[in-house]
Amino acid sequence: MNYIIDVNGLRKEFKSHASRSGLKGAFRDLFTRNYSTKTAVNGISLQIKPGEMVGYIGENGAGKSTTIKMLTGILTPTSGTVSVNGMDPHRDREQFVRSIGVVFGQRSQLWWDIAVQESFRLLKKVYNVSDAFYETHMEDVISTLNIEPLLNQPVRKLSLGQRMRCELAAALIHNPPLLFLDEPTIGLDVLVKLKIREFLKKINEKYGTTILLTTHDLSDIEALCERVIMLDEGNIIYDGALQQLRENWGEGKQIQFVFSEEVSLQTLQQLTAGYLVVWEQGDNGASWTASIDDDEDIISGVIGKVVSSIKIIDLKMAETTTEEIIRNIYEEGAIRNG
Amino acid sequence: MSYVSIFFQYASQYLKTRLTYRADALVEIISDLLSQAVNLIFILVVFGHTSLLSGWSRDEMIFIYGFFLVPFALFGAFFNIWDFTDRYIVKGEMDRILTRPIHSLFQIILERMELESLFGAVTGIVIMIVSASQLHLTFHWYDLFVFLLLAFSGAMVYAGIFISLASIGFWSDSRTDIMPMMYNIGNYGRYPVNIYNKVIRWVLTWILPFAFVGVYPSAYFLGKEEWYTYTYLTPVIGIVFFFISLFLWNKGVTKYRGAGN
Repeated sequence: MNYIIDVNGLRKEFKSHASRSGLKGAFRDLFTRNYSTKTAVNGISLQIKPGEMVGYIGENGAGKSTTIKMLTGILTPTSGTVSVNGMDPHRDREQFVRSIGVVFGQRSQLWWDIAVQESFRLLKKVYNVSDAFYETHMEDVISTLNIEPLLNQPVRKLSLGQRMRCELAAALIHNPPLLFLDEPTIGLDVLVKLKIREFLKKINEKYGTTILLTTHDLSDIEALCERVIMLDEGNIIYDGALQQLRENWGEGKQIQFVFSEEVSLQTLQQLTAGYLVVWEQGDNGASWTASIDDDEDIISGVIGKVVSSIKIIDLKMAETTTEEIIRNIYEEGAIRNG
Repeated sequence: MSYVSIFFQYASQYLKTRLTYRADALVEIISDLLSQAVNLIFILVVFGHTSLLSGWSRDEMIFIYGFFLVPFALFGAFFNIWDFTDRYIVKGEMDRILTRPIHSLFQIILERMELESLFGAVTGIVIMIVSASQLHLTFHWYDLFVFLLLAFSGAMVYAGIFISLASIGFWSDSRTDIMPMMYNIGNYGRYPVNIYNKVIRWVLTWILPFAFVGVYPSAYFLGKEEWYTYTYLTPVIGIVFFFISLFLWNKGVTKYRGAGN
């Protein structure tokens, strides 16, 4: 199997010195320094096939950005091997970056003062893209992203959503087979997010572009990625299908009852004595949540027992959201059956 | 030769932007001219009190100053890297630079160029022509090429020193005042080095070779044969210092730590 990203035992350590406090401490720092080594990425291995869309998630400081920066050739790994598009990103940097596109949500690729179109033209020159290819390819990208009316405006006059769409277009000028997106939807409104997701799906289908995406917004991942890689304190704690993650972790269902009068916990427990139910009180004595296994017999049994003896005003069923699942995982720190 | 065409693309884009802010560019050129005038007046004031300074006459001093302005203008136009650490390391702009398929230093030169500084070279050449006619200097046809070679070498000395200093930023991004200090030291290069004490002369020749930007190359045109050895060394020093700085830069890029998000 040919992998587009092949990483083995990748490690990155940062050395930093801790300053001592006070003037005396500052003097001592001049002569002997307390160096401490912080491991940002702790020997991870991962393989990604061409055409995959992979979500790379983790809390702040988990090592996501550091990994992305090593995969894009910005940082040199402390140890381990990286092969992306068959090249060593840091060693063959100038050759290598021709084969990738990068969008950092918090950093602009475009020139602030000049029109978007001029930025594109400079990048076209930088990537040495031929006129013919540029015309046909960019026309397609521009019309799909719907940025035609923005082309003559300077970047500083664009809204964040408009800028982000232009950034995406800029990253695709040379039609790279691999696209790195670091927080591409940060701070965007729902509509723009949807547009961007749609666009990413489309280029993935049309050009077979492999996409590695980091985000805090799990709905991005749900909408785009079949596979997630989860990072915690520099280690990969989960690598697999999103669906499986949900099945393993989102095992429960929750039923929220709002009764017409206050009900005691004891009454409820007696009513559902035959089932495994955890009752939790909501805002007041009349609202209760039952956590149960995702099983049709139990669900209908519990509902049946309760509604047959207590009057209800409202009833809601909720599945554990991916966000809750992820939170649970981080709280427990490791993956079961992972 | 794609670097050349990329350079022209950037330069034309630069001019386009500059032309929309014409007033800015004009103010910059005028303020450059003013500071050059102040420096000239300083030389004139000194020679109001004496006619020779360590064997150099007033017009020779002015000629050296005029020559110095040419490499300095080249340097100022293309190596605006005095705020490199702040702008590229601390703010993490280097991330963006490193994701593009051009040598990182070349990209920074392209992004930071200030072509209006080149106007200083015009001033310098005018000053040289005026003082040369005062001194009744004669030139050969090949002196033009010697001049170009020496001016470029001087600019490389300057660039080498400042690129090396900027490279420090890859290892340590703490604030230092070393850049402005170096600009001040650089100014010593526009006066003949034998007016300084021995230690300073040695430093300006071998450690921070700013003397190769002004006095040593000018000595050739002024016919000061006792300095010719240094004149011939100028291209060598320029190349050596520039390559040392490139080496440091390339080494530094591998040490780049990035800025946290």
